Amino acid sequence: MTAPNDRDLLINARRGESAAYGEIVTRYQTSVFNVCYRILHNRADAEDLAQETFMRAYDRLHTFDLEREFGPWVRRVAANLCLNHLESRKVTVELDDERDADQSRSPERQVEAKERSGRVRDALASLPPHYRVVVELRHYQDMTYGEIADELDIPLSDVKSHLFRARKLLAENLHAPD
Amino acid sequence: MHLTELQLNEYLDNESDDRVRIETHLSSCDECAARLAALQALFTEIESLPELKLSTDLAARFVPSPNLSPQLPRWLTLTAALQAVLAVVAIIFAAPFMADLLAPLTASRIVPSWADVMLELQIAFVVWLQSFQSIRLPELSSLAFNLPQGISSEILILSVIGLLFAWGFGNWWLLHKKNSLV
Repeated sequence: MTAPNDRDLLINARRGESAAYGEIVTRYQTSVFNVCYRILHNRADAEDLAQETFMRAYDRLHTFDLEREFGPWVRRVAANLCLNHLESRKVTVELDDERDADQSRSPERQVEAKERSGRVRDALASLPPHYRVVVELRHYQDMTYGEIADELDIPLSDVKSHLFRARKLLAENLHAPD
Repeated sequence: MHLTELQLNEYLDNESDDRVRIETHLSSCDECAARLAALQALFTEIESLPELKLSTDLAARFVPSPNLSPQLPRWLTLTAALQAVLAVVAIIFAAPFMADLLAPLTASRIVPSWADVMLELQIAFVVWLQSFQSIRLPELSSLAFNLPQGISSEILILSVIGLLFAWGFGNWWLLHKKNSLV
C-alpha cells in the first residue's frame, strides 16, 4: 500500500483528522526545526517555535493552496515566526554547545566537520535577525529576491542590501584569524 | 574596471540581467574570477550545514485542540449566510399569509381543561383521518398580488412546499458532500 500524498493528508487534516496532520508534522518536522535552529541557534527555542509553526500552519490550513507544495510554505511560516520571535523579545541568543555530528566519517573528519559547521552556525548567530532570515530564505529555502521581498514585506533593495551585508559579515567572521 | 560586489552577488544568485557581459569579463580578469570563487566558496560553506535531528517527536507533541471543528469551505459558509438572509426575507413576506392561515385557529382560543384537550385531540385525529377523503389546501385570500391565469393558490402552496423540500435536500447534500468538495 502506498503512503498517502501530502494533498490527501491535508484534505483529511482540514476535515479535522488530527492523525493526518500528525503525519504531515512527521514528514516536515526536521526541516522546519532546522530552519528554526539556523535562525535561533538554541535547541529548546527552535523546538518550541517548530511546534508553534505547525500550530499556526494548522490554523491557516484553509488558506493554503493545495496545488502548492506544503514544505516550502511551512518553512516560510517558520522563518517568519522566528523573525517575529527575535524581534519581539530582542533575545540575546545563548548558543548551544551542541554541534553537528556525522557518524559515517572517521573520528578526525567528524571533529573537523563539527568545527567547521560550528563556525558557520556561530557566524550565522552573530548576524542581526533580519540578515539571518534573508540568508535562510535565500540559501536554505532557495527563494528569489522577489519572493523574499514578498514574504518579508520589504523592498527588493532591502533584500539585496541585507543579503550582501550578511555575506560580507559571514565572510569576515568565518575567515577571521582565531 | 572590475565587477562590483553587487554584480558578483547577483550573478551567483541567478538574479543578474547581465550574465553574458559578466562572464566575458570574468574570463579575462583573474582578480574578479578569484573574488567570484571566494564568494562561491562562502555559499558552499553556508549551505553545507548538516541537518540536526530533533530530540523529540513534534507529531506526538502536536495535539490539535479537540474543540477545533473541521474547517468548512468558505463557499459553504457563505451559502449558509445567504440562506439565513433569504429565510428572514421569506418569513417577512410569508407573515401575512401565515396569519391568514392561522386565523381560524387563533380566533376561538380559550384555555381548555385536560379532558377538553384530549377530546379535542381525539376529534382532531378523526377529522384528520376523514380529511384524507377530500384533501384540499387552504385558500390564500390576502395575497398582495393577483396570481397569473391558471395558477391557483393550491399550486402556489404546493410549489412552495416543493421548494422547501428541494432546499432541505440541497442542504443535506451539501453537508453530506462537503468533505469531498473541500
